[in-house]
Amino acid sequence: MSDAEVSDQPEPPGPAGSTDLPPPADCMVLADNVHKSFGRLEVLRGIDLAVPAGSVACVLGPSGGGKSTFLRCINHLEKIDAGRVWVDGELVGYRQSGDRLHEMRERDIAEQRSRIGMVFQRFNLFPHLTARQNVMEAPCQVKGKRRTEARTRADELLARVGLADKGETYPAQLSGGQQQRVAIARALAMDPKLMLFDEPTSALDPELVGEVLDVMKDLARSGMTMVVVTHEIGFAREVADTVVFIDGGVVVEAGPPDQVIANPRHERTKSFLSKVL
Amino acid sequence: MSSTTSIRNRPEAIRAVPVRHPGRWIAVAVIVLLTAMFVNMLVTNSAFHWDFIAQNILSTPVARGALTSMELTICAMVIGIVLGVVLAIMRLSPNRVLSSAAWLYIWAFRGIPRLVLCVLFGNLGILYGRLEFGLPFDHQIGQLFGVTDFHARIFGLNWSSLIYGFVAGLLALALSEGAYMAEIVRAGMQAVDPGQTEAAQALGMRRPTVLRRIVLPQAMRVIVPPTGNETIAMLKDTSLVAYVPVTNELFFQLQHIGARTYLIFPMLVAACIWYLAMTSVLMVGQYFLEKRFSRGFGATGRARMRLRTRGAGAPGGVVEE
Ligand SMILES: Nc1ncnc2c1ncn2[C@@H]1O[C@H](COP(=O)(O)OP(=O)(O)OP(=O)(O)O)[C@@H](O)[C@H]1O
Ligand SMILES: [Mg+2]
Repeated sequence: MSDAEVSDQPEPPGPAGSTDLPPPADCMVLADNVHKSFGRLEVLRGIDLAVPAGSVACVLGPSGGGKSTFLRCINHLEKIDAGRVWVDGELVGYRQSGDRLHEMRERDIAEQRSRIGMVFQRFNLFPHLTARQNVMEAPCQVKGKRRTEARTRADELLARVGLADKGETYPAQLSGGQQQRVAIARALAMDPKLMLFDEPTSALDPELVGEVLDVMKDLARSGMTMVVVTHEIGFAREVADTVVFIDGGVVVEAGPPDQVIANPRHERTKSFLSKVL
Repeated sequence: MSSTTSIRNRPEAIRAVPVRHPGRWIAVAVIVLLTAMFVNMLVTNSAFHWDFIAQNILSTPVARGALTSMELTICAMVIGIVLGVVLAIMRLSPNRVLSSAAWLYIWAFRGIPRLVLCVLFGNLGILYGRLEFGLPFDHQIGQLFGVTDFHARIFGLNWSSLIYGFVAGLLALALSEGAYMAEIVRAGMQAVDPGQTEAAQALGMRRPTVLRRIVLPQAMRVIVPPTGNETIAMLKDTSLVAYVPVTNELFFQLQHIGARTYLIFPMLVAACIWYLAMTSVLMVGQYFLEKRFSRGFGATGRARMRLRTRGAGAPGGVVEE
């Protein structure tokens, strides 16, 4: 039924046509016809997305459209009901043997997640740890790195996000923008090959948005593959290689920013952009 | 704007007549009067026999009894806390069997009074003469295969030599405490923002690591204050083990002296003094624990930070250990 609804959509341009997806090995992220329901509420109704390694995909769309849910499916914080997600050519959350899918053990899921960084809207820093300890925690606990080594790396990362002098500070004493930059450093400490951002600047005061976006632009320039859910159209236009517009649990439109943002083809994209621009 | 305020002269400081609180003064007078009467009664009433209290309060059997009570409190709380953490994790587990088992345990051990548990554990010898380890249901399995006298026991212990006095009392108190601690720990864990677990999982941490490093340390802030109350309650409840019976416990010893000398009341006063002294010590411990676990949250954390950045102390050294 939902398949029928999806194909009722006017054929969107770009990678959203489900048949002409590239093979998983060629993409950092490949989502093929992803479905997800919460009880009877069908939130994702066949999402397709291909993000090549080293590129930045910005996900736009109205509230409740399923953007966060989709992002959380990429690192298996949500279990998908149908479809497939690959990260770096590897199926997420499942192991395929023959034509049967096996659920992965928690250990293997954790191992997959350790290679995917995630930054949350509400930062979710660990309040009982200092900024430096926040950054050191996962390398020490997950990768078993030695503390001295992890500490050096943490200081490098904090310096990279412009917080070299805040290592000793607890999150409660940092501004929102500083907290979010620590959160980015924390994710980078695991040396991820993919970074997911869920509205990283939505909880920030307007004057703090810039400092976080600058760090993200820097990261994009360094060649990190990023999937960014955002309402910052300016950021999307400047940094994104692909802009994906999600509404009602489907990809309505996807393509380069000068196409989707400057000349949207679909009514829903147009009306959304006219509201946020 | 600020320039205009700085140009103008600072007006005369306000020196107003404060509001009178006659009610408060009356209350203070009443309390002072009552205190004076109470102290007077303590000093002048010869039934207290202060000299007798002073003679006995530090005598060897009493001091040993106090030590036993302290030991019981500490052991019972340690076992109770460990048990409580395990039960709380089971209770919050998505596995229905685990969570139901924890629920059943809590239901049973919270429902039965500690006094009854103490007597019950003192009499467990009636239920099991011997405690034997081996294949469970060996008789039934034997019958299944037509063997009537099948035994698969590896070794056995005499129950009454294992579970006697102190151990029985300790078990009764600790198992009961486990049920209360489970609820306290569960409330603490549920008070931690689920976003914390998500962030930790997104970093690749597994559930045990998330619990140990992220959830429990934050839950401690909620867990420590009621645990302090539990410890104080436990210290007082050690007097119940007299019914196991454990006779070298503080209250029993004092009562015993009282009964022997017909000076019952002074020994009750001595017991009050002992318990108050010991709970005071525990309260000091609780104060430091609360400070330790409020780091990063609110004012105390802030004060610590300032101290630490100013002083040269090894950064982070205190937190990690
Ligand atoms: N755990 C959950 N249980 C039930 N419903 C959920 C859950 N998470 C999300 N939803 C529902 O799924 C829908 C999509 O949510 P989602 O958070 O993905 O939207 P979004 O596009 O990120 O919106 P926003 O821009 O407001 O963040 C919403 O209707 C939401 O209520
Ligand atoms: Mg969202």
